Amino acid sequence: MELFDWSLLSSTIRMVTPILLAALGGALCARVGIFNVGLEGLVLVGAFSAIVGNHFTGNLFLAVLIAALVSVVFSLLFAYMTIKLRANEIVVGVAINFLALGLTTFALRAIFGVKGAFYDKDMAGLPTVEIPFIHDIPVIGGIVSGHSPLVYFAFLAAILLYVFFYRTVTGFRVLAVGLNPVAARSLGLKVTGLQVLAIVMSGALCGIAGAQLSLGQVTMFTEGMTAGRGFIALVAMMMGQSHPLGILASSFLFGLMDALSIRLQGFSLPTQFTAMLPYVLTIVAMFFLKNKSQIGSDNQQSTR
Amino acid sequence: MAAIKELSKSLVQPLLAVVIGLLTGALVIAAVGESILGTYQEMWKGAFGSFYFFTSTLARATPIMLIALGLSLAFRAGVFNLGAEGQMVLGAVSAALVSIYLPAPGMIKIVAGMFAGMAVGGFWALLPGFMEARFRIPLLISTLLFNYIAVLFASYLVTEPFRDRTGSAALAQTVMLEKSAWLPKLFAGMSVHAGFLFAIVAALLLFWVLRFTPFGYEVKMLGQNSLFAQYGGINRIRVMLTGMFASGGLAGLAGTVEVMGAHYRFVDGALTVPGFAWTGLMAALLANSHPLGIIVTSILLAAFQTGAMGVERNTDVPLELASVIQAVLILFISAKFSYDWWKKRKAKGGESHGAL
Repeated sequence: MELFDWSLLSSTIRMVTPILLAALGGALCARVGIFNVGLEGLVLVGAFSAIVGNHFTGNLFLAVLIAALVSVVFSLLFAYMTIKLRANEIVVGVAINFLALGLTTFALRAIFGVKGAFYDKDMAGLPTVEIPFIHDIPVIGGIVSGHSPLVYFAFLAAILLYVFFYRTVTGFRVLAVGLNPVAARSLGLKVTGLQVLAIVMSGALCGIAGAQLSLGQVTMFTEGMTAGRGFIALVAMMMGQSHPLGILASSFLFGLMDALSIRLQGFSLPTQFTAMLPYVLTIVAMFFLKNKSQIGSDNQQSTR
Repeated sequence: MAAIKELSKSLVQPLLAVVIGLLTGALVIAAVGESILGTYQEMWKGAFGSFYFFTSTLARATPIMLIALGLSLAFRAGVFNLGAEGQMVLGAVSAALVSIYLPAPGMIKIVAGMFAGMAVGGFWALLPGFMEARFRIPLLISTLLFNYIAVLFASYLVTEPFRDRTGSAALAQTVMLEKSAWLPKLFAGMSVHAGFLFAIVAALLLFWVLRFTPFGYEVKMLGQNSLFAQYGGINRIRVMLTGMFASGGLAGLAGTVEVMGAHYRFVDGALTVPGFAWTGLMAALLANSHPLGIIVTSILLAAFQTGAMGVERNTDVPLELASVIQAVLILFISAKFSYDWWKKRKAKGGESHGAL
């Protein structure tokens, strides 16, 4: 088996999707001045609800919709705690992650009566889309075509978010809130409303990211299956400096690592080391972040 | 007197959260269709029902308490150390390897193992601390990512070079420690071991350090107002690094006492699956990082877990009931910040315009 070939790019595109979607969600929150550590939990909840939705409705579209909705409900909890109750967003984010892990594990036992993982051989995963014309082009067709619809949605979301931020009035307002909430409020902007809007949108994106994880890639749910992807998404968001196109680029880096670590398992390396790769490279990548990170704790305190 | 007042004040909110957590648990139990009162009775019996169960609860509280103490020190200094899991696991595996392969009498093995566990845990925490100080890499993220690396590396050590190949070898684990290097049990036949005493001593020591030493004062100043602390001549980086080292060292000790007092070997996953690190984080948050409060909260959280095992033995309610209750607990604890804020605002009696 070759380490680098064209199909690696294809699996990179598949792996990048959940990270990209969650990172875009994180960017929305970061742009309104909220550091959302709960991405991991929101994605996990989405992954679980997608499987539940698929199991009970048998309709994949509904399953993805349910995943997005349930994650939105969770993100509303996050919004309520951070905005309305003014709780520390990092603590709430960590709590959301716990709650997601506890509830999904509990519900896995309560709904399906299994421990560890739920797998149903009759359950259909997301279909692959073969783009009519492009699919027939030799190399590019194999890379670009034949992914689940959510993969295309993720890339579309990045572009849409770019348009939203830099071409729409609401987008400008969101950016203004992030830059200076006090000034934004004095201009008569509904700061709280815009913050809630951003958190809810990030919830929906995370839910869809979870659906891609559980239905687009493997068609099963395992306890804690996000395995830190939510945190990697946070890093991708920081590296991309909350700019949709920057996030697209940094997510690609992490997707490539994810795909590489799976590919490397075919070689006789200990699996622990190949599994370590994304985390090690994330840390290496953070050396290039320098002080452009979104966590300016002192700065944040003064504006709240 | 003031200390008691402060302690009871910091315990009021957690108790309220516990009540809300239990109410949520009741909802979940009802959703599964079991008797709420019966389930909670089983939970109480599983945690405190007999002397044996009570000591099991204390044994489970031991690593949780040590981790919580370490984290509380970091929190007090205003830094988020989310890497306790990795620090604990690396400490545990180093302690196991040192006390297995060091050619020395039992007593020295115990001391060397504990020293190794604390040192490795401490240095593993120091590394992200250094990265934050030198390269401004956010501690919050780096400590988290370090968990995965540490757990995977420890897992590699016991599946490849140091694996016990004498037995059936179904589990990835090291060989057993010599009996002379085991930490003694506190009561014959019960699971609570000397590590529990270490945890209590650590709590008292930390209480003393935070309250009566210059270092404790620096930590407190830094946590409350880092700008003012630096203006006052406190070296932020030095205090942060010391805090991280002590924090990781305590997490390493938590892993070490589990290895030397409970399993007598390092078993892959034996420390991560019960979620000691995250429960420790919750215990620290619940107690508002008060060292003496942590003694109470870690026993409480351990009781939820051992109690839930009793529930699973005797009813149809899954073990994960405990994790749901814990998560709700922590969510309501996080609202405490707002509660304080609300009180302050009320005291001022004014309404704020403009600024959030």
